[in-house]
Amino acid sequence: MSGHSEDPVKEESERFFTFFNLSMLLVAITGIEIVIIYVRSFEGSTIFTVLAVCSVIKFIGVMTWFMHLRWDKILNTILFLMGLVIAAFTFFAVIYMADDTPVVEKFVISQIGKKWESEKVYKVGDYIENNNTFYIAKADHKSGQNFSVKTKNFQAWKKVQGIPHELIWKVSTGNLIEINSLKPENPFFHQYHPSKTDNIEGSKISLLAENVVAEDFRIKVRSEASWVEGLNQ
Amino acid sequence: MDIRDIFDIELTSFSTFILLASSLFMALAVSAIHKGNLKSTRWMLFGTIVFGAIFLACQVYEFTHFVHAPGNELTLSSYRGQPHVFGSTFYVLTGTHGTHVAIGVFWLIGWLAYSFTGKMSSVHAIDVEICGLYWHFVDVVWILIFPVVYLMEYAF
Repeated sequence: MSGHSEDPVKEESERFFTFFNLSMLLVAITGIEIVIIYVRSFEGSTIFTVLAVCSVIKFIGVMTWFMHLRWDKILNTILFLMGLVIAAFTFFAVIYMADDTPVVEKFVISQIGKKWESEKVYKVGDYIENNNTFYIAKADHKSGQNFSVKTKNFQAWKKVQGIPHELIWKVSTGNLIEINSLKPENPFFHQYHPSKTDNIEGSKISLLAENVVAEDFRIKVRSEASWVEGLNQ
Repeated sequence: MDIRDIFDIELTSFSTFILLASSLFMALAVSAIHKGNLKSTRWMLFGTIVFGAIFLACQVYEFTHFVHAPGNELTLSSYRGQPHVFGSTFYVLTGTHGTHVAIGVFWLIGWLAYSFTGKMSSVHAIDVEICGLYWHFVDVVWILIFPVVYLMEYAF
């Protein structure tokens, strides 16, 4: 079964060091896998690639030497790998069959923060604009006659750096929504994990350097099997 | 949900190391029986059994810890008290693997017991080797489960 020659004892003695070295290599590779998780400075795609490569190396190591396919007939390797191919094919078939392709039904970006108005009730989190500068309300209050540093009501506002925008999206399905800017002036990035599987709606307020529309951003929705990109207005 | 709140990567890494080490013992047991070295075969089989048992103990501890983790309870049908599919996926996948490890441990115990009957010799090398192939295959499956189930959670 393990393809022994005329002197199996000598052969097995030689294999001892192969087995030991392989074992050390497997432990070292597992160490690399752990380290890349602990060092939180890598991107998801990098971690995925490293883990996949490490697993394949370990898999091949155990299959080739511990299961001694290296010393067996090539037919055994083919039979072993055939099972793997069928398993992989089944996995992807099930994933794709059960998957619904997401549809971006709505993706709107609009500037918020109307002109400041006198004698108006403002609530915490309201944005206003005055002389091309944006402010956010720190407290609920009713505005006075003037928007001036000298007035008491001015203390209820905090100046913000940038132009406040609201991003609103609605997608049909998906388990991860990613929104990022295509303009270097607005290095905005947002990830959202929906808790429901249908009628997924969300919104987020962000301070951007310039006025933008949906075309300046990219929304990507991930399902089990695919990434879908949408730029609907 | 963030399942990383309950994962104990240190423990799982340790049990992965244990399973990899058990594969080395198994390979050496096969090597020893081929050489007709019964004493060494016994020790290597014993080592494989012990390491397999440690792996199972870690899994039992892990499952118990997950089910009773305060505020993060992961059961077959729920996570943090809310219905969720992850528990059934996780427990069925790793539990099925654990069951195969347990079967392997009992198979190895059988060979270890047989080695004390005085009937075992290098004639049985092929039988021990088949047991070894099963054990390595269980190891190979864990090599895939460990990154896919545990580590990949940290990638996305």
